[in-house]
Amino acid sequence: MSYLKLSGISKSYGQFNALEAVDLDIAKGEFVTFLGPSGSGKTTTLMIIAGFESATSGQVEIENRSLFGLAPHQRNIGIVFQNYGLFPHKTAAQNVYFPLQMRGVKKAPGLRKAEEMLELVGLKDFGHRHPKELSGGQQQRVALARALVFEPSLLLLDEPLGALDKNLREQMQIEIKRIQRALGVTTIFVTHDQSEAMSMSDRIVVFEKGHIQQVASPLELYHRPQTRFVAGFIGESNLIDVKITDAAKGEARNGAIGPIDYAVSDRASTGSEATLMIRPEHIKLSRNPVGGRQNVRMKVETIVNYGDNALVVGKVGDHTMRVRVLGADVVIIQENEECCISWQRDSVYLIAK
Amino acid sequence: MNRFLRWLGIAVVIFIAAPLVIVVPMSFSNARSLQFPPPGYWLGYYQAYFTDWSWLRPTWNSILIATATTVLTMALVVPATFALVRHRFRGKGIADLMMLMPLAVPHIVMAVGYYSYFGSFGIVHTHLGVILAHTCLSVPIAFLVLSANLKGFDRTLERAALSLGASPTRTFIHITLPILRPGLIISALFAFIQSFDETVVAIFISGRNAETLPRKMFDSIRQEADPVIAVISTLLFAAVILGVTAPLVVARIRNKRARLAAA
Amino acid sequence: MGIGIAKLSQRTNLWPWLLLTPLALYMAVFFLVPLIDVAIMSVTEPRPTLANYQRVLTGSLYLRVFLNTFITAAVVTFACLLVGYPLAYLMASSKPRTATLILLLVTMSFWTSFLVRTYAWMVLLGNNGPIIWFLQALGMQQSPQLLFTRFSSTLAMVHILAPYMVMNIYSVMRKIDPVLIRSAESLGAKGLALFRHVYLPLTAPGIANGSVLVFVICLGFYVTPVLLGSPREQMVAGLIGNQIDEFLAFGMGSAMAMVLLVVTLAILTVYHRRFGLDKLWG
Repeated sequence: MSYLKLSGISKSYGQFNALEAVDLDIAKGEFVTFLGPSGSGKTTTLMIIAGFESATSGQVEIENRSLFGLAPHQRNIGIVFQNYGLFPHKTAAQNVYFPLQMRGVKKAPGLRKAEEMLELVGLKDFGHRHPKELSGGQQQRVALARALVFEPSLLLLDEPLGALDKNLREQMQIEIKRIQRALGVTTIFVTHDQSEAMSMSDRIVVFEKGHIQQVASPLELYHRPQTRFVAGFIGESNLIDVKITDAAKGEARNGAIGPIDYAVSDRASTGSEATLMIRPEHIKLSRNPVGGRQNVRMKVETIVNYGDNALVVGKVGDHTMRVRVLGADVVIIQENEECCISWQRDSVYLIAK
Repeated sequence: MNRFLRWLGIAVVIFIAAPLVIVVPMSFSNARSLQFPPPGYWLGYYQAYFTDWSWLRPTWNSILIATATTVLTMALVVPATFALVRHRFRGKGIADLMMLMPLAVPHIVMAVGYYSYFGSFGIVHTHLGVILAHTCLSVPIAFLVLSANLKGFDRTLERAALSLGASPTRTFIHITLPILRPGLIISALFAFIQSFDETVVAIFISGRNAETLPRKMFDSIRQEADPVIAVISTLLFAAVILGVTAPLVVARIRNKRARLAAA
Repeated sequence: MGIGIAKLSQRTNLWPWLLLTPLALYMAVFFLVPLIDVAIMSVTEPRPTLANYQRVLTGSLYLRVFLNTFITAAVVTFACLLVGYPLAYLMASSKPRTATLILLLVTMSFWTSFLVRTYAWMVLLGNNGPIIWFLQALGMQQSPQLLFTRFSSTLAMVHILAPYMVMNIYSVMRKIDPVLIRSAESLGAKGLALFRHVYLPLTAPGIANGSVLVFVICLGFYVTPVLLGSPREQMVAGLIGNQIDEFLAFGMGSAMAMVLLVVTLAILTVYHRRFGLDKLWG
């Protein structure tokens, strides 16, 4: 059941196409993340939904009602901006009361409701402070409360965590998720940070160059990326360009590595070009070949230690491979040594060209 | 080298400060003409200023003219600044330059122009004439201050207000104007001071009827150096001290309060 | 839908013009027209000829006044630099508290009316003033005439215009990264060499700004030279004033005003090409 529906949204600035024929369905109460590098069109899409940009063509509908011709203030959409956009001349409570004031709610009940909302975001007793007197995280919470207090039909979050430091960011990820669940508001979250997208979303929409590359749940996206771009953008991966030698048996060949078997798929036929993906954590490092797995020899170039795990980068022929190993396993190997790397056929995932 | 520049700097501080300070004792002097150090002290010339219509009337004229100039300047400059800062359009470069032009033209040139031009309308030697002329001279100053403020205005705030359900008009009233208020006040204050202090155009076109304080002071200094000038100078200087230090004091109090609140 | 958007953008293009029109009209009627009036008078009063310009540009009296104005403006600018640079340096190198105090003083001076400051110099340099008194206390028999000379008006103009110079230079100095100076020192630059090769070039934009501003204001300065200067060594603005005030010679006054205007605008145009005018008063 589609709640928010984008159909055929395009946006061009003169010759430049910022968005091309974007289609998307979002269900009520869903938490969807727009993920992509800067300039990929994710923020433009958000601004078109909010009404700050007009699409060159296409439709935005909420519950089958078109938003076309509605100005931003008529759309009833809550937005949290990158730098929060808190009104500096108003206190936290007055900021949260503002949308209610604009909807004709009287001051006393409005401010009471604002205080309730501030309490929900964990800012009880902070209502009288001005934005300048609040920390970054607290400002973030006020902005969230303000965007939610008028029960918007949609909540848009435009890279709201970008300005926060790492610890606070993780804390706010959990907070936002909690509040969104509690209120059941349909939410679109824009970010270029893939780990943020993975940890928060019901579904992720990956944007690149004005196109949607893939729409899927975080796990699906991680394990079954549909394009080379998605595979490279989400998590770490080894991407190996191959020629399919036998599609029925799942056999392919790469110039440097030699023959590679992959999990059989009908996405490519014999003789076609394709890309195979092997996640670094699915590769095992050993001194000698391991039975039941595909083994190749690798010359280790660099070992980066992270304590609990390590990243080993080496060459198979002239193809660079990245291997993620548990900290304890790395002691068997040193830089500039030769070793054996191995994987299971099921870990080799085929991406069609 | 450093030490040399430093000592020179201190000498310059004295050079800058001494003429400002000297008018204060002069205003309490009981000498009939310029004499320093004063032979004795009294408040007679303050009394003279506050009772003499030949001084009070120009003062009143100046206040009147500066106020009207400020209102007119702001009414013209505020919308124009929004257009110039927030929109791109053809001819914007020329419009920007036009705003600043009055700063580039020597006032004596404008004085000649106004004297003849306003003469042909019969508004030379009237309040109206001075107000119209002063507004031209105040426009660039008000524009510079306001456009700097408007450029620094975070437009996300307006988008936020729109997304929260405020119409463009209500966004302007509830968000844009209040946040720009300090800039508007300073801009208006500068326009006021520009008019209140303007001397050259006023000398030529204010005449007897609309005589401004600077014109009266100029004439008086030129003719007899009436000691009342020291009184006016002291009062003006006091106003400057107040105007320059007040914002600092206010900022300090605000900071302290913000720090207390955050603690 | 495409048409709808085109219409919308057309409407939004009209909006800035609507906002700009009142001011544009006002400036045209009350700024440009009077200015053009001056230009017209310069070739029509008393008769439509170029005689006024001929007299202004060849008459020895007028040429002497123009020359005198230029020299005075140059001297004042240079003196302002001598006064302003060390002061800006003192501010930039002092503790924040001292710097604020000096800035406060400069700002106060800046905002104090030209007339008040001119009057103050009259008191200081007057025959019964503290400087003459001091000279007499030192045993000088014949006290020199200070007031109503080129010296007194130049001194007062330097005092009045120095804040422009100081603020321009200081705003540049304040932005100089101290690390830059320290690294220059670590590379062996010392004393004069450090100043000449590092500090001076870094502060050059401020010097240029301040100098152009002071020079241009000085060219058209009326009040102080008229009140404090020698009547025999007038500057252009004063002479223009005389023509209008005393002789009602609008043609001559306008012609001189036009020459002053053209020179001023020429200087500012050259400056605008290189740096942009808006920076000058910013």
